[in-house]
Amino acid sequence: MPNKGNKNKKNIVLVSAILLFSLALMTLNVKQEKGVRFLDSITGIVLSPFQNFFTQTIQYVSDSINHYFFLVDVSRQNDQLKLEVQRLINEKNHLLEHLASQKRLAKLMAYEDEWEKKTVVASVIGRDATQWSKVVVINKGTQDGVEDHLAVITDAGVIGQVIHAGLNTSKVLLIVDGRSAVDGLFQDSRVSGVVVGMGSDECQMKFVPNTADVKEGDLVLSSGLGGIFPKGLIVGKVSRVIRKKQGLFQEITLIPGSDLSRLEEVLVLLP
Amino acid sequence: MFSAQTTWLGLFSFGGVTPDLILVWVVFCGVRCSRAGGMGAGITLGLIQDSLSGGLLGVNTLSKGLIAYFFSTLKDKFFVEGVVPIGIFLVCSSIFDGLVFYFSMGTILKGEVASGFLYQLLPVCSIYNALIGPFMFVILDRIDGWVQPKVSNPYMGSTR
Repeated sequence: MPNKGNKNKKNIVLVSAILLFSLALMTLNVKQEKGVRFLDSITGIVLSPFQNFFTQTIQYVSDSINHYFFLVDVSRQNDQLKLEVQRLINEKNHLLEHLASQKRLAKLMAYEDEWEKKTVVASVIGRDATQWSKVVVINKGTQDGVEDHLAVITDAGVIGQVIHAGLNTSKVLLIVDGRSAVDGLFQDSRVSGVVVGMGSDECQMKFVPNTADVKEGDLVLSSGLGGIFPKGLIVGKVSRVIRKKQGLFQEITLIPGSDLSRLEEVLVLLP
Repeated sequence: MFSAQTTWLGLFSFGGVTPDLILVWVVFCGVRCSRAGGMGAGITLGLIQDSLSGGLLGVNTLSKGLIAYFFSTLKDKFFVEGVVPIGIFLVCSSIFDGLVFYFSMGTILKGEVASGFLYQLLPVCSIYNALIGPFMFVILDRIDGWVQPKVSNPYMGSTR
């Protein structure tokens, strides 16, 4: 029994001490803030390394788990974005191509407006299947008013003439073909000659007298003779002149005004 | 092959000269097929080429048919494997093809062919065909190897 009485007393003392201590702290907190702050600081200094360690460890584990699952999503998202980028690149290329086509057509249309004759704009859809002929196929035929022996040009000059007009397509003999002959004259000297194809990407101007003043860079225009090409269209530019001591005529090589290997849209001059 | 020849092959033109894929195909058929098969293929390919060309109809039918016949007849007498023999075959075929065009233009159409045709254009075309030919042979061999098992009948024997 005396033990029990002692125990009760101890409990009462302990509870009272706790109450007093806490009451004292509360009183201090209200009356003297600095003292409590100092205690907070001490506690913070002592505990913060442990806190940091535990927090970082938990964060690391949490991040690892989260990122693993997150990366699975990121991988999927990456695939989707790659597809999206590819689609956008294709779309951009398509739009750029469309823009370039519009620019070319605008140039042709401006040229067409200046022209008094009726014209048809055509696209080049194919080239000759052999090595020996220089022929292109255009997507306009007799349905669009295209006939044989009509002149085909671009804003840069003469291209050739229609040799076979089909219903929807036509074959155009380019001026670089060996069978082509266009009557031309030099813009400056007004000396005339015949521009014939060489079968490669160049032409020759034939029957120009040795006495004629011709130099590299001179422009050759269509003379209007022959009835196919109207007068004044650019046929080509002189790239090489050879004057032989023996012989009546010069050997003159021309580069066509238009780049015939990169033809896309052309104008057919209707009668 | 014809689509490639008449559209984007122009991008590979060198001085206005493009390779003749059909000629390579005809030589391939001549070397790999039987006499009748090779000649039939040559005539058919030449006829299609003629119809897609602005030249005289029949010139390519004649030249391609003869080239295929020549190679299908004489293939057993020559060594026909390897880059060099194929290159030589293609040079010879290109020269023959060009000469047929040259003489047909000069005789039948009475037209004037470009002055540098024989000594400028013809050699360049021949060399270009010879350079591209071995690559084409590899591709055609692959296609042939892929198609052949599907069309060959075990009860009828090989088509070759």
